[in-house]
Amino acid sequence: MAQEYLLLNIILWFSIYLIVALSLNIEYGYAGIPNFGRALAVLIGAIAVGGVVNRILILLLGIEGRGIIETSGTLKSTVNAMISQNPLLGLGILVLCLLIAALMGAVTGALFILPSAKLRQDYLAITLLAISEVLFLVSNYNTSIIGGYYGVSIPDVLAFVPGERRFLAFALLGVGIALLVYLFVERLLTSPYGRLLKAMRENEDVVKAFGKNILVLRIKTVALGSAIAALAGAFYSLYSVNVIASTFFRVDWTFFPFLMLLLGGMGNNRGVVLGVFSFVIVKVLLIVYKFEIKSTLHLPFEATWLEYILFGVLMLLILYYKPDGLIKEKPVTMTPPIKHALKQKAKETSGR
Amino acid sequence: MAVLEGAVVYSNLIVLLAIGLTITYITTGVPNFAQGSMAIFGSFISLSLWLLFNIHPYYSLPVSFILGGGLGIAIYTLVLKPMIRKEAMVVTLMIATLAVDLILLGFLGAYSDTLAELTGKGTKKFIFTPLDFKLGGLDAILVVSSAVILLILFALFLLLYKTKFGIALRASMENPALAEIMGVNVEYTRLFSWFLSGSLAAVAGSLLPFRQEIVPATGAIIIVSIFAASIVGGLGSIYGALIGGYIIGMSESLITFYLSKPLGPSILLYSKVVSLIVLIIALIVSPKGIAGLEIWRKRTWRRSISS
Repeated sequence: MAQEYLLLNIILWFSIYLIVALSLNIEYGYAGIPNFGRALAVLIGAIAVGGVVNRILILLLGIEGRGIIETSGTLKSTVNAMISQNPLLGLGILVLCLLIAALMGAVTGALFILPSAKLRQDYLAITLLAISEVLFLVSNYNTSIIGGYYGVSIPDVLAFVPGERRFLAFALLGVGIALLVYLFVERLLTSPYGRLLKAMRENEDVVKAFGKNILVLRIKTVALGSAIAALAGAFYSLYSVNVIASTFFRVDWTFFPFLMLLLGGMGNNRGVVLGVFSFVIVKVLLIVYKFEIKSTLHLPFEATWLEYILFGVLMLLILYYKPDGLIKEKPVTMTPPIKHALKQKAKETSGR
Repeated sequence: MAVLEGAVVYSNLIVLLAIGLTITYITTGVPNFAQGSMAIFGSFISLSLWLLFNIHPYYSLPVSFILGGGLGIAIYTLVLKPMIRKEAMVVTLMIATLAVDLILLGFLGAYSDTLAELTGKGTKKFIFTPLDFKLGGLDAILVVSSAVILLILFALFLLLYKTKFGIALRASMENPALAEIMGVNVEYTRLFSWFLSGSLAAVAGSLLPFRQEIVPATGAIIIVSIFAASIVGGLGSIYGALIGGYIIGMSESLITFYLSKPLGPSILLYSKVVSLIVLIIALIVSPKGIAGLEIWRKRTWRRSISS
């Protein structure tokens, strides 16, 4: 049982973090945009579920109550009862949540990157971090958006699954979503668009010289990345059946994704998978054996602090000794049309 | 009046932090995301001296100054210098300072728990306000923080403009390559700037608990104000940081205070929103004030400068 719990935890966190890390790979790994505010898009995904879908359901079902925190509790029990009778409703709400999260993520991302029109890389990174941090503080203190640090309840979209299978069902659902995202991102980034992003990362002037508008390209990229990261936030909220603003701390949703990305290797998705996998195993083991670690080592403090020190040092070691990550980015391979064109040219020259 | 006094104290502390951030940015080219946690390091030094040896926080300022400077030098020599030697990109160095911030947070958190266990007092959250006293009708913190600012500005002025080392320092801030040709050791400048940055941060941190409650993660929150102050001031000049610090500190305290009259006291929680808005306005209105705004330039370290 304990082993099963461990395994499911690893699978679940792997899925969630893979989605976030892939989104960051599009923005930082491919396009070179230092998005130090990744946590914001994840938070937006949670707001889409806890703040928007919750309110839609409350309106539709005509549930009354004082404030979002209390009403969402009533909503949860009502909707859970309905879903356990009608699985399709649960799946419908799931899809609705993911769609709204992606949409809100895309809009936020597009607005969020606008300062980049005027700012150099380091200024941009600071500004993005500041925006993300401030919105985190606002949603944490203001209890009327998503209940702040008290949090709101979310209906269990898989309420039709018997209780003991629930964790398994969510882990499988997570893997499914992560796989779809992976296939989508992989396909997208091997297209001309992906190569354009890499070109922008390497030298913006060249891209400009080819008549591309850098700002439009950046807006598109960050909108896409944020939409994907918002999916992770939405899924995480649906799994934990509540949204608590204080869980969207910068360390967990900006620093750790950067760590996974750099550990695995930027600019290639297989590297990201490896990075996320290695990170999640360590992270989950640390979470699960938190109390054992504290008691065996006789630590006079919480094991979380040890985790911070450990991952911080790991990041420095990667940056210093292995800046390319475990799997190094490969140069862009030739696409079939280019190969074809080269062959034609070789034929022509040899025929002469 | 009390509001204004509080605003001045807060601004003084933001100025100390912004000067530190700016000076390391000038010499090393890295925005230091660990500046907030470096301040909280100072807060914990004062807290420990108070709890363990009963030394009043005002008397622990010299200790904070020296230990904070040591921390600054350690961050530079152990983390940033080796990476600069390897010609790391600026973004890589920024990520490194984020990592340093996390490591510091981990140590501060662990230390806070340990200290709580050691002294049997709750030190997860702490505030020094009860320790403050009146000095000639004013709160001592107002006098002390203003005196610290004046002292530091005076010392900096003397150092930068009246000594040979200061001339070398200014030269290597303005044009490191040229200064190096003239025989200035640019490395000393960097070491000095990190020492100063760390010590100013720790001094500000020692005084910050007189103004607000401190937890190990407070650094992550005040970093927004520090960056806002430095960027409003232009990131490239120490005087800019001075002005930016007062603009941000004052507007954070006063705007939220005046808004709280019609809108209710809950608005006081949103002081960082004010910082962000001022920051964005500054970036839109006068990007010129922000030194050397070359859009999105990819900068790497050239060996001629770094070694």
